[in-house]
Amino acid sequence: MGDVLQIANSAPFWIIAFIVVGIVMFQAIIFLRIAKKSAPDVGMTQNEVKTAIRTGFISSIGPSFAIAIVLVSLIALLGSPLTLMRIGIIGSAATESGAATIGADAFGTELGGDDFSAQALAAVVWTMCLGGMGWLLFTALFTKRLGKTQKKIEKTNPKAMTVISSAAMLGAFGYLASEQMISSVNHTIAGAIALAAMVIIMIIADKQKIAWLKEWALGISMALGMTIGYLTTMM
Amino acid sequence: MSANPEKVVTENVTTEAAMDSAMDTFHNRAHFWGRTTLWVLMVMCLLPPLYLSFVLDAHPGWGVIGGGLLGYAAFVGIMWVLEPITYYPTLGVAGTYLAFLTGNIANMCLPCSSAAQKAIGAESGSRKAEIAGVFGIAIASLVNICIIVLIILGGTYILSILPPSVEGAFNFILPAIFGAVLGQFAYKTPTYGVLAMAIGMGVFLSPIFGLIKIVVCVALTITLIMLIEKQKDKKSNS
Repeated sequence: MGDVLQIANSAPFWIIAFIVVGIVMFQAIIFLRIAKKSAPDVGMTQNEVKTAIRTGFISSIGPSFAIAIVLVSLIALLGSPLTLMRIGIIGSAATESGAATIGADAFGTELGGDDFSAQALAAVVWTMCLGGMGWLLFTALFTKRLGKTQKKIEKTNPKAMTVISSAAMLGAFGYLASEQMISSVNHTIAGAIALAAMVIIMIIADKQKIAWLKEWALGISMALGMTIGYLTTMM
Repeated sequence: MSANPEKVVTENVTTEAAMDSAMDTFHNRAHFWGRTTLWVLMVMCLLPPLYLSFVLDAHPGWGVIGGGLLGYAAFVGIMWVLEPITYYPTLGVAGTYLAFLTGNIANMCLPCSSAAQKAIGAESGSRKAEIAGVFGIAIASLVNICIIVLIILGGTYILSILPPSVEGAFNFILPAIFGAVLGQFAYKTPTYGVLAMAIGMGVFLSPIFGLIKIVVCVALTITLIMLIEKQKDKKSNS
């Protein structure tokens, strides 16, 4: 296993990993720029652009750390550069560990076992990289088609997209919240507190017209939910 | 999300057309850059396995690779197609390219997108909301990759200085994120919030195949809310 990790941590993998990181950053910056260009055309002021950016920043710190905490478990299996490249793009720690197990299985060995050879690592890497490509391939090929379908719907019923968009969000998060909150009493409390905090913050922000409070709404509710959820485990 | 038929009629026709063409330009740019970055990334994804197989001579055999891929496809392959379609209505064109390249859609991209939309008071599904969401997701993607690089390079050191209570609290971040986002959408239309939660619980507890539960949930919620809105429109028109 030690030799294999030495291979996995060698320079070529670091180079590839940093190119992947570069692509992710490049794409984000390009999209920020084209969105900035189009913002005035849809009636977004300079201030609103700043608000949207600040909100994205504040709201993403918590989730990013949560993602980083789980990725540590993958470093021991795959080495740092491959972990960086797999977690930096589509695919969560859970999917990637699943993929790694499947790849090792296909080779007839076990992850981290004594007989885990370079070939076994190759089998794991092939499985993760090809498997994760499914999403990339589908979005690259079919997002245009989805956009056309949206335009068709908007033509026949201009209001439909507004309703569909928030209904889809409600449906997805109604499910995700249920799935999480059902797993333990502490999870239920964490979810319920975050939900209540969000509603209260949004109502206060609307009534008192405190615009900046909305930027912090997700960050604050999230922090409150997870802290109180954790504190209830101590009781 | 409440019905507002007057607004559509009174909106200025010329600005409407200008907005449409501006959005077309934006979408064309998004398609171009989104596809380009995705294709380049796909090529990069092939390099590590190819390097292992043919430079380091550790080829495991195509049969093994096929077996691995087949196992993966059986594991989550259905999500390759269903996830982009399910999340498209909320992500939009540019949001889809961003979110499916950077990953963490439900636990980061969507929450950040909707937080940015709500912070400027944009109605979801509107053009303004689409652009605001792009800012939210693009910044989230940048923050995320920076923190990941930091943790990888700083290694376990950064995490070891975190007190265990912080790590314990992070166990509860998922219910907190999902609850908060649900609250964000539910506070103006609490009935729909309760409806979504009820559908979510029902579907979760039903014997439907695990991976497609969320898809069933989204489809059901859209259908029901569309029906209710239609009823409302009929009432307000009569």
